[in-house]
Amino acid sequence: MSVLPARPLRWRKVRDGTLVGLAFAFYLFIAVIPIWWMVRATFVADYDLVDLQVNPFWYKQPLSFDHIKYLFEHTRFLTWYGNTYLVAFFVVLITLALCVPAAYALARLRFRGAENIGIGVFMTYLIPPILLFLPLNQIVVNLLQLPNSKWAMVAVYPTFTVPFCLWLLIGFFRRIPIELEEAAVVDGANRWQAVWRVVLPLTIPGILTAAIFAFTLSMQDFLYALTFASSSSQKVLNTGVPTELIRGDLYFWGELMTGALLAGVPVAIVYNFFLDYFVEGITGALK
Amino acid sequence: MVVCLSDVGTATRAVPSERGRGTRLPRIRTEALLGYGLISPVLVYILVLVAYPFFLSIYFSVSNVTVAGGDQSFVGLAHYQELLGDEVFQKAVWNSLSFTVLAEVGKAVLGIGLAFLLLRHMPGKKIIRGFLMLPWTLPISLSLLSWRWMFDPQFSTINWAIAQLHLMNPPYPDWRGDALWGYLGILIVNIWRGFPFSAVIVLAGLTSIPSDIYDAAKVDGAGFFRTWHYVITPMIAPIIFIGLIFDVTFTLGDLTIVYLLTNGGPGYTTQIVPLLAFQTGIQGGNLSTGAAMALIFFPFLFVAVVFFLRLLYRRQAVT
Repeated sequence: MSVLPARPLRWRKVRDGTLVGLAFAFYLFIAVIPIWWMVRATFVADYDLVDLQVNPFWYKQPLSFDHIKYLFEHTRFLTWYGNTYLVAFFVVLITLALCVPAAYALARLRFRGAENIGIGVFMTYLIPPILLFLPLNQIVVNLLQLPNSKWAMVAVYPTFTVPFCLWLLIGFFRRIPIELEEAAVVDGANRWQAVWRVVLPLTIPGILTAAIFAFTLSMQDFLYALTFASSSSQKVLNTGVPTELIRGDLYFWGELMTGALLAGVPVAIVYNFFLDYFVEGITGALK
Repeated sequence: MVVCLSDVGTATRAVPSERGRGTRLPRIRTEALLGYGLISPVLVYILVLVAYPFFLSIYFSVSNVTVAGGDQSFVGLAHYQELLGDEVFQKAVWNSLSFTVLAEVGKAVLGIGLAFLLLRHMPGKKIIRGFLMLPWTLPISLSLLSWRWMFDPQFSTINWAIAQLHLMNPPYPDWRGDALWGYLGILIVNIWRGFPFSAVIVLAGLTSIPSDIYDAAKVDGAGFFRTWHYVITPMIAPIIFIGLIFDVTFTLGDLTIVYLLTNGGPGYTTQIVPLLAFQTGIQGGNLSTGAAMALIFFPFLFVAVVFFLRLLYRRQAVT
């Protein structure tokens, strides 16, 4: 009696498991396949890339590091790498300097308009770069005097990092019990000391998250980078790799893919670790 | 000690309601002052680099401004009127809208499926998720290079697979030189790029539902579709709406995919509004027309967002 229903149940489990496995395999395939071609093109010989008889998933000629070598020795890949991380670093600094105090104020202090200001900042999410890039270009060139410069990106990227990071940080500050701060004040600390010694240390994970977010977001942009920095020495990876390794009709496929792989994968890995916070930053308006 | 501290904490909060009003008031005033002080840097930044350019772009769109200066005269809605009669712009609007709608449908289908898969417990889920998120986490301008390879007229690996599987007779699709295949290619990349994000948003919604609600639905005899329709959908609607609004503004405003795949061609068959605005405003130097193009969807999105947020707040007020 007890054996009888167990068999169909086990069978069902096996069947469900197989279906789930197949579904996962399908998703993994479509997600990873373009990256697989980057990996392959990085290491195979040029001949394998253009020989239509060679299986595009695999290789025939011996593998080599020639594409990596070429990228570092004959292109400005290192300059673009440097520019990308330099821009991202300063964007993080500016974003945190703007957002940490503001997030504390909006989470903790009671003052007229605080709530509306929060909502207003959230609404700036919904102004995409495409609405701003024309006037921003004028502002960057005429007002900030930064024509064709990576510093223009430093000035402009916080327009999209600030709303995210502010919402994230407000959430983090709200999670710290106000009693802790009050206890510190009762124990004789002034407000500044209470914030500096008690609240900020507890928000460090949140601040780090916001920092990494500003970092990865600034590495995703293409439009501003394309608009504001057109000379080779000022380009970042996202614009340098796809625009400088194609000369007319001539595609440096090996180097293109190598560049995409070396530039993109670190960003993807870091982004992935903090993806949940990204979602929280977007859905934050609901809390 | 701990008990003592928390007692003090509640005591200080209780005081003003009894007799501390007089001493509390000036503190509130300094609190407001401190508050404004702390938020002013963000406000100044947003005013100068978001609000000001935004209104500047509206100003551009109703006057004659070019990179060279233009005569700066006020022309009202003339640019918009001109655009509405412009064949290329009409095509771009149509493409933008249809791309966005079709891509959202594709992303929703793939994303919901993936979200339910990711709900399951399994070993190594974090790592698998990391791989599944690659389309979203990789910078799009870089992953597009791989798509160019897949869509290359000579070396297209997709066409290679089509040939190997005998799915089609030659001539094989010209993914970057043909109007229809180009359109399809752009759509595929759009969906590919966005489905992990849709999955994550749906997942965030699903995990926000307490599990006893599922159990209750089960006990009441609700099957999958009933649970989906009567239990899950209403509960995750707010998160989904926010995700959707974010994704629609993002997709409508993004030019990277089209710029790097077909550049709007052949002719202007795969042209979209943001790319046209970029070509007109930056490459052509015609700031006024470019700004008018970029702004064309904004009023509709704005109304949708305001409507939705009001709905959301009313809902929260009820519950």
